[in-house]
Amino acid sequence: MQPTAPNAGYTLLGPEEATFLEAVVDIMCPADSLTPSGTDCGLAIYIDRQLAGDFGKGGRMYSQGPWIKGKPEQGYQLPMKPAEFFKAGVAVARQAAQSRYGKSFDQLAPADADAFLSDIASGKVVDDRLSLADWFSQLLYPLFQQACFADPVYGGNRDKVFWKMIGYPGLPAFYAQDMVTYRGKPFPGALTPKSILDFS
Amino acid sequence: MNRKLKSRQVVFVGGGLMAALAARKLVEDGVDVLVLERGRDHDAGAEHRLPSQRDELRWGVRNHLAQDWSIETYTLRYTHKETALPIRTLAAFLPGEGVGGAGNHWNGQCFRWTDYDMQLRTRLVDRYGASAVPPEMPIQDWGVTYEELEPYHERFEKLFGVAGKAGNLRGQIQPGGNPFEAARRSEYPQPPLEITEAGVILSEAAAKFGYKPFPMPASNSPHVYVNPDGMRLGACQYCGHCERFICESNAKGSPEVLLYPVLKRKKNFEIRPYSHVTAIEYDPKAKRVKGVRYIDLESGDVIEQPAELVVLAAFTFTNTKLLLGSRIGTPYDPVTRRGVVGRNFCHQTSSSMNVFYKDRWINPFFASGSTQTILDEFNGDNFDHTGLDFMGGAYIFNNTTNGRPISTRPLPPGTPQWGTKWKQASADWYSHAFTLTTIGSCYPHVENYLSLDPTYRDAYGQPLIRITFDWRDNEVKMSQYVTRKMAELANASGATIVGPAAPRKGPYDSRLYQTTHVVGGTPMGADPHTSVVSPHLQHWDAENLFVVGGSVYAHNAGYNPTALMGAIGLRLSDDLSRYARKPQRL
Repeated sequence: MQPTAPNAGYTLLGPEEATFLEAVVDIMCPADSLTPSGTDCGLAIYIDRQLAGDFGKGGRMYSQGPWIKGKPEQGYQLPMKPAEFFKAGVAVARQAAQSRYGKSFDQLAPADADAFLSDIASGKVVDDRLSLADWFSQLLYPLFQQACFADPVYGGNRDKVFWKMIGYPGLPAFYAQDMVTYRGKPFPGALTPKSILDFS
Repeated sequence: MNRKLKSRQVVFVGGGLMAALAARKLVEDGVDVLVLERGRDHDAGAEHRLPSQRDELRWGVRNHLAQDWSIETYTLRYTHKETALPIRTLAAFLPGEGVGGAGNHWNGQCFRWTDYDMQLRTRLVDRYGASAVPPEMPIQDWGVTYEELEPYHERFEKLFGVAGKAGNLRGQIQPGGNPFEAARRSEYPQPPLEITEAGVILSEAAAKFGYKPFPMPASNSPHVYVNPDGMRLGACQYCGHCERFICESNAKGSPEVLLYPVLKRKKNFEIRPYSHVTAIEYDPKAKRVKGVRYIDLESGDVIEQPAELVVLAAFTFTNTKLLLGSRIGTPYDPVTRRGVVGRNFCHQTSSSMNVFYKDRWINPFFASGSTQTILDEFNGDNFDHTGLDFMGGAYIFNNTTNGRPISTRPLPPGTPQWGTKWKQASADWYSHAFTLTTIGSCYPHVENYLSLDPTYRDAYGQPLIRITFDWRDNEVKMSQYVTRKMAELANASGATIVGPAAPRKGPYDSRLYQTTHVVGGTPMGADPHTSVVSPHLQHWDAENLFVVGGSVYAHNAGYNPTALMGAIGLRLSDDLSRYARKPQRL
């Protein structure tokens, strides 16, 4: 098994942004009998690295104007690249928490922080410049799920903790025989998943 | 810099499955063939090797094998009166890029279509009367019959080592196969893939209704297989990394594995990667094409490549875009309903629902792209539509292709989006759930078409293709009907929890993957007023131009398109050989 990676630093997010994000992933993934806290699982590091790289720069997005608002089904239509949208959303969310509770998001009691995130997700935290609901559903939430379940080579899912939790065996996935032997039965390989790191 | 190269006998645009099949006979005959492909050769890349091939994030979520949207995307609107917006990150379907095209990252599902699909209009009118097809639905015959295509189906299945169980051998219905399939002259070249636990559950439920489940015809090789060209497929490892991935075991029938290596051995064949074709040179007076123009991405040069014969063999949108941009043929107009280029654009109508079984081990990671069990009772015109207010249908199946955990992790309705309960539900249900899906027909509508966008351009300065499309009444009603049938099965399957069954409805959602089966735009047919190419795929307005691929489909059925495209591509191979020997209207 790979040793636990040391807590890597942030490359895109500033200290206040990183503190906010760590508080968010610790609410979304609290330390419990299933996994360590989101921060300790590497979730915030994963998100920072993705935003700092090709994804955050919108490397594969069509980015020419004009910029017109459309139906949600026509997809994201802002000139901002994902990394900029993320940071803008963080700034709005931090301000909204401050004005609602009189303290910063990371200082909130877990129940308040959880309720605040729910309000963001359901569109109840309104800002006249930026849709926090879109920010959450289109950017933060997909990144959160990827951070949990992507290969640990990307910095999240530390020690394959989420793969062990659900029983995803990972690599190398040569199942021609297992497919028959374990059809309809628990697969022992699911207890000890392997990642790209184990083969690198 | 602009350069003009010496003329070539035949130039293909697009180095995917179609060029590899349609060039076969020409290359055998010793004809000089050049294929221009915009992307790279994938052979030595991370996408083809372990461990990087098993990277769900890069290939499965970020779709790094699909077209790069920063270079070229499509715009979308719902009626011809709206302004279209660019789809900035497209997810609804996944065109490929590079040698092999979308034939690299497909799932391998390899259906023949029914014996009536090629004469759909005739069939519907014969069965339901002259008013069966409303005027706003230009359903039309294709100008070719299943019987004409059958020998080519046979050849394609042998080339690709397709695995399955025949349901209709020369008119005799076979137990264990699809009783609705068109007559086949012989069994599949290989026996079916292993069934999944989800397939066992669906088969048990189907038996209660008297339905006849059968294994998905698969171009995922269950055993080592050597095809008639002497090319070898490895044995499928059931690794769950087919669609959106390149098979690292070479077990999935793909042009790069089976076809291009054979062509590349011949001195009269050349494939040129990094060549982005921007136009076909057309002489409207002579009604002939003179060659193509492309950007050589390795030098930036604009290259003029003259040719005696040009074959457009790119993805659906590119074929249409090049004809519109090069002003070959009359563009379709949705108001007058005249013109042809861009008409009959169709996606495919799917819907799905999750089912959960506390005491059954689904092990979703034991899968290939085609380890599914299918019911065809409610597909196409396999059932009587008398009294129903729609045409078409769908197959129903357990859509078990992978257990990749970012994307394939069904959760019971009502599960919170995060927190301990979310994690617990993921842990409880990951190995005990799967998705039931319908893949259904999409028949043409006068408002669903392709044109050039007046505003947005690609990275090379050319107009993007504009998609005008939505789910119209017929498809919405069809989806409601087949989704209800799927839900009946789910409810009778002994499931602990049955998720919501959501039929497809508008607005068309560019953010959700549906299928990559987008067809039409340059339909084939016997009537030049309603088709772009003849039944032999020869352009009506240029004798030395042929078009092949999903773009020539006149409608979409509730079947995956690849096997039919394979048959059409091989038939074109014979036609091109005939044409090269004696150029004329075929």
